Amino acid sequence: MIELLDPTVEAAKQPIAYVDRPGTLKGKRIGLIENTKYNSDKLLLRIGEILKTEYGASETRMFRKHNASVPAHEEIIVEVRKTCDVIVAGVGD
Amino acid sequence: MAVALTSKRYRVDDVDAGEFCFQQGWTDGLPVVPPTEDRVTMMLAAARLDPKQEIAFITNRSVSVTAEKVAINAVMAGCRPEYMAVVVAAVQGIGDPAWSYHGPGTSTGGAAVLTIINGPIARELDINSGDNLFGPGWRANLAIGRALRLVMRNVCGSLPGLLDRGTLGHPGKLSYVIAENEVESPWTPLHVERGFRPDQSTVTVMAAEAPHQFYNQLSPDAEGVLTTLADSMKHSGGAGRQPQYVVTLAGEHMRTIAGSGWGKKEIRQFLFENTRNTIAHLKRTHRIPGEIQPGDEAKLRPIIAEPDDILVIAAGGRAGSFSSFIPGWGGARSSLATTKEVKR
Repeated sequence: MIELLDPTVEAAKQPIAYVDRPGTLKGKRIGLIENTKYNSDKLLLRIGEILKTEYGASETRMFRKHNASVPAHEEIIVEVRKTCDVIVAGVGD
Repeated sequence: MAVALTSKRYRVDDVDAGEFCFQQGWTDGLPVVPPTEDRVTMMLAAARLDPKQEIAFITNRSVSVTAEKVAINAVMAGCRPEYMAVVVAAVQGIGDPAWSYHGPGTSTGGAAVLTIINGPIARELDINSGDNLFGPGWRANLAIGRALRLVMRNVCGSLPGLLDRGTLGHPGKLSYVIAENEVESPWTPLHVERGFRPDQSTVTVMAAEAPHQFYNQLSPDAEGVLTTLADSMKHSGGAGRQPQYVVTLAGEHMRTIAGSGWGKKEIRQFLFENTRNTIAHLKRTHRIPGEIQPGDEAKLRPIIAEPDDILVIAAGGRAGSFSSFIPGWGGARSSLATTKEVKR
């Protein structure tokens, strides 16, 4: 018999605080986080329009990340906290 | 005195150890050396590392890459203990925020980690910089790169098909390590250009596509050889996205270019100027979006943001009129090549 050491790590447990989901989008301010990929702005604007016309959201604001590979930078986070109730973000092509 | 290793342990039958590693999903598809305590301890001792020492922290994954985990994966990859310090420097390189792990570690773009070794350690460890540059035959080249990829897989979570979503990937994702041929090169070595002393040893990592070979057996001067290279580079990789590039100039081309009195600075400048495409061409070939506007036929866009985004090294066999260029992953703003000293 031999003893082998595990080369992997178990993901560290991190507490993640979730905000309660809003019961309705009526009157909510929507933040759209754009990841800079082609057409991602168009897709998000379309989603924003649907949230306004079909779900009664009051307004949308778009924020642009530095690039698709990095998390939203601090300035975006600060601004979203001040001006949005709900955000739409995604990663994709 | 050795410090206790804290990784989980598995008792397995000797003959089944290799198969056990496959079953656990720990390998890249090839057999590995069983990571036993004595082997891992030797690996750590060679680099004088405490097992708990953090080598890198991958922010997006919230993963701390410890020396112990690097050593275990280095053993599995077939590294000799003296390779450990090089593997550690490479892991530090991909953990640097400028390298931006999350992109190249996961992207559909399928980047491998092109790893360039400079300084005395390349000769000491017999890291190949010559014949069959990107091919098999040298243990250090293969094992060091393999260890790095196993760390990415087993510690950082870049599992092919899961977090590593490379559409195509390429063989360099098994191992992609080369050294610069500093002994025969007439030029300033890469690490010295990047701020280190010649007697320091370094590892430079760049998220990269596969090498693209080009051929020029006709030209007697720098301009001729580099014209062929520029023509090949012009439409490569992310021509619209301005990644970084590595250019490896092998023996014959190296001598021809140096014979014209050109150094790396002149090479970079020539390539910068002669790889530009018109905006109209980039739009016509769907490399950048948009309709062609008046003036687009005359407006030029370089394939890199600035000449220094081409890392030029002397490497490859003495014979043969071949050299290569290697497009970086994504754009330079997404991931930058980083250089770390090998600490011994």
